[in-house]
Amino acid sequence: MFRYLPLILKNCWRNRRRTVLTIASIGISMCLLGVMVAMFHAFFLSDPTPEQALRLVARNRISFTVSMPLSYRAQIKQVTGVRVVMVSQWFGGVYKDARDPKNQFPRYGIEPDKFFTIFSELHMPEDQKKAFERDRAGCVVGRDLAKTFGFKVGDRLNMTGDIFPGNYEFTIRGIFDSPRNSDEMYFDYEYLEQTMPERRRGNVIMYDILIDNPANSARIATAIDDQFRNSTAQTKTESEQAFVVGFLALLGNVKMFLVAISGAVLFTILLVSANTMAMSVRERAREVGILKTLGFTPASILIMILGEACAISMAGGIIGYLISTLLMQGVAKSPFGGFLPAIHVFDPSVALVCVLAAGIIGVMSSLVPALNASRTTIVEALRSTD
Amino acid sequence: MSEAIIQTTKLTKEFIRDEFHVVALKDVNLEIAKGEFVALMGPSGSGKSTLLHLIAAMDRPTGGEIRVLGHALRELNDRQIAHWRNENVGFIFQQFNLIPVLSALENVELPLKLTNLRKSERIEHATTALKLVGLGDRLHHLPRQLSGGQEQRVAMARAIVTDPSLILADEPTGNLDATSALEVLTILGRLNKEFGKTVVMVTHDPHAAQFATKMHHLEKGELTN
Ligand SMILES: Nc1ncnc2c1ncn2[C@@H]1O[C@H](COP(=O)(O)OP(=O)(O)OP(=O)(O)O)[C@@H](O)[C@H]1O
Ligand SMILES: [Mg+2]
Repeated sequence: MFRYLPLILKNCWRNRRRTVLTIASIGISMCLLGVMVAMFHAFFLSDPTPEQALRLVARNRISFTVSMPLSYRAQIKQVTGVRVVMVSQWFGGVYKDARDPKNQFPRYGIEPDKFFTIFSELHMPEDQKKAFERDRAGCVVGRDLAKTFGFKVGDRLNMTGDIFPGNYEFTIRGIFDSPRNSDEMYFDYEYLEQTMPERRRGNVIMYDILIDNPANSARIATAIDDQFRNSTAQTKTESEQAFVVGFLALLGNVKMFLVAISGAVLFTILLVSANTMAMSVRERAREVGILKTLGFTPASILIMILGEACAISMAGGIIGYLISTLLMQGVAKSPFGGFLPAIHVFDPSVALVCVLAAGIIGVMSSLVPALNASRTTIVEALRSTD
Repeated sequence: MSEAIIQTTKLTKEFIRDEFHVVALKDVNLEIAKGEFVALMGPSGSGKSTLLHLIAAMDRPTGGEIRVLGHALRELNDRQIAHWRNENVGFIFQQFNLIPVLSALENVELPLKLTNLRKSERIEHATTALKLVGLGDRLHHLPRQLSGGQEQRVAMARAIVTDPSLILADEPTGNLDATSALEVLTILGRLNKEFGKTVVMVTHDPHAAQFATKMHHLEKGELTN
């Protein structure tokens, strides 16, 4: 088999333009596939980080946009295994010109004294934490956000509310570091509460919950939901990871979407490369006849043609995977990345999928022409005049 | 002393496809002894190539028997035939039929890839074969960088590199000028005389036939002498 390798490689290289184009088109498809698989992996298959595993999120059963009473906080706290419960209020609002996407960073109203306990992977100097807790109109921003806008501790940050109408004047009290993208801003939800008219107070969109043991998370989530089973506002409590996926699912059926796109990409590229392989084998029918005359068996002809197709498509697969890691790096760094479960830029399983898929495409696209070539009689093959 | 190396009895080959039906060979009884240099002559379409293909087991007869080098070819399967041909038969075409992407040396090395020889041995054998046909200085040329005569000599080197006992040539000089043709025929003569190879050569050319030790004529698929 390896003896044929030089010939296989030379054959790949004989029609350079076609080979390069084929590798490029397979590379692009495999790159797409790589991104899809990496996303799929991150959403549905990845293990939560140790910090994530300790967090639950409770929301109104109806949807993300419907609130729950503030009184739930104390009730959730009663459930065995719950250590901390914190209000988390999606603020929305407008910062400067809202049409510029970079001004659309997420902002939440939270409870400063609990925030860094629940999100223990976020780090900020102690004195800044103290200052944040003391100032009702204080806020903290992520390192990435601070870099984007050149924010410094002590800067003013003005916003106009939409969900919560009014003008808000925040003072940056701290800048935190995160292992992930940190394009977010957090402030004291009490500030929000006080600007609201009486009738709108006491409504909460989300509770972030810190539990004692990841092993208990399912039990605790059920216990919390059971507690409000007969209330007007029923809850849905789930792991942070599941919550994120659920949130993205608002955009559509993510799983179906990823699978459908990947399928379409694979199918298209299969057709394209099948056509190319059929052409390149047909052109060489005569050479197949020559090789057979020299004593090459039908099996060795089969191996050589399949090998050539695999070499080309796997080169495309490797290139595609490498490009997909660049793209995933981009996704992880984008504001969107802050929402996503941890993304591993170099994911060996994604590499495996890309290269394997490419290999399978190689085999499938060339199997029929290869079988035909290995079966034609020498005399017939030699008579072809391409 | 004349041990029969090729023996056919009532060898018949018909081509049947849809409406047309051609009898390319009809009841050919032929015997070729070891060490002979046979010229196979006859008008175009008389079945010369077909006969050569059957001797090399590149095609299967539709009737009759053929024994080559002690094997009844009918009894071998495709895989066995391939090995058998690799070991025992060198085939030379009118159109040279070199692999265009491979150098002269690589072309000649090709049949040896099917043997157990190591790379260094393969290169050594291939180089020797090329030297034998007078192309020791063209090892790394690609076919398109060679003249027709040189290409045909590379093809001859490829045919003899596995040291087969039988060399079959289908109009080897058909595409060559007189000088190149002479070179090719001289080499075939040497292979026959000095190395004891049995040679069967199809040719139209009476001059070429003079190099042979024996002649057979085909006419409309039948042996005439
Ligand atoms: N694969 C094939 N299919 C159908 N008919 C064929 C095939 N090969 C040969 N024939 C027919 O068989 C007959 C003998 O052909 P063959 O090629 O053996 O002749 P030839 O003596 O070599 O002729 P030439 O001198 O022109 O090469 C011809 O009539 C030819 O048309
Ligand atoms: Mg002929």
